[in-house]
Amino acid sequence: MKLRISCIAVIVAITTSGCVTATIENARVEATGLLEGEAVVVMAKSYHQGNETEADYIQCVETALGYGANALNIVPAQQFIDKLFPWFEPRTAPGNTKGLIQFMEKLGVSKAIELMGVRYIIWIDGDTERVTQGGSLSCAAGPGGGGCFGFAWWQDDADYEASIWDLDKSESVGTVTADYSGTSFLPALVIPIPLIARTQARACGGLAKQLKTFIIGGEQV
Amino acid sequence: MALRLPVEFQDFVHEENVLGRESWTINLGSSNAKLFTQLFGYMFDNVIVLGPDDDALDYTFDALVEPKIEGFEFSVPNQSKTDAFVVWIRYRMQVFDSVGTSASTWTVSAYGKSQAEGLSGEKALQRAAVLAMRDAAALILLQMDKATNIGVLADGPIDTGKPDSGEASDGKSVNDEPTVFDIFTIGGIDEVTN
Repeated sequence: MKLRISCIAVIVAITTSGCVTATIENARVEATGLLEGEAVVVMAKSYHQGNETEADYIQCVETALGYGANALNIVPAQQFIDKLFPWFEPRTAPGNTKGLIQFMEKLGVSKAIELMGVRYIIWIDGDTERVTQGGSLSCAAGPGGGGCFGFAWWQDDADYEASIWDLDKSESVGTVTADYSGTSFLPALVIPIPLIARTQARACGGLAKQLKTFIIGGEQV
Repeated sequence: MALRLPVEFQDFVHEENVLGRESWTINLGSSNAKLFTQLFGYMFDNVIVLGPDDDALDYTFDALVEPKIEGFEFSVPNQSKTDAFVVWIRYRMQVFDSVGTSASTWTVSAYGKSQAEGLSGEKALQRAAVLAMRDAAALILLQMDKATNIGVLADGPIDTGKPDSGEASDGKSVNDEPTVFDIFTIGGIDEVTN
């Protein structure tokens, strides 16, 4: 009987999850497109500007952009930063498009970027936060066995904004924002059954998919 | 151009107890010596690297720079209530002319931050230290001539009748504006333990 309950709990946990609501928006300023051999680089905004974007989120977006349908050529961020040292360190990287124009005029910068084939920089800002939580759950164990009883829940909000800079034109071509909100549940009647909302992972997949559409599906190159 | 590296640059170890609960030992090893040797080798045409036991009078140079670590601080997530490990390194750069007169001093405050996610605490702190050293390298590369006036020393020793000046120079032995260079690797960080 206990084994059956455990199996049911595992199956339920695997096949179900918490609910996630999503809002993705584009704001296009200029036409986009990628030519053969051109690449993008995904960067977190500088921590000198107070940015707290998680490194694994950046990695996730970078990976998602490079795989699947409409995969983009990706230049790893660290490689890009190393090639441009000292102009793309957290302290020295351009923070706006005015700074981008000055950056592109630095000696050797345009050539280094051309050699890497980077056409767009995608700056990511934002983070995932636990905004609220509640309920209670208690577990106990004794000589005859153990179990849990109760109900807990929590809500995570993932708010990210990607700004896309075109290095050929030294200008911003637009932004893509992804706002995801997910509520996870953990009911327990002897066996806890986690119904986890993978908010950050969904925000990663959603933003990457939209970025591909934004860059490749621009009005014109 | 001469670069005199203090003994601590070959084997820098920082130990600290955090809130009386954790003891952290950060061993930067010889990474500072490698960083400054590499950096100054890029910035100046001819660089003589002097050890702590070398006598500068035995060498000929226009300027001698003696960096040292004036301060090393860090914070861990328990202290900051965030996921971030942060390292601050304060370097003091003392510049001498060819006859050993102090020409200027410059304090370089560098900052590095690394999130803990996906990394052990040791690795995250090490990463923060590397980022702080990169930050220092970028600052030195971009601002040293303006901050220390080292360029004027190419024209001879300073006039001791005049006080130290913080104004930018016209004469330049240091490269005018750094181009991008893909050589930056900080090696020699041995370990971070707690």
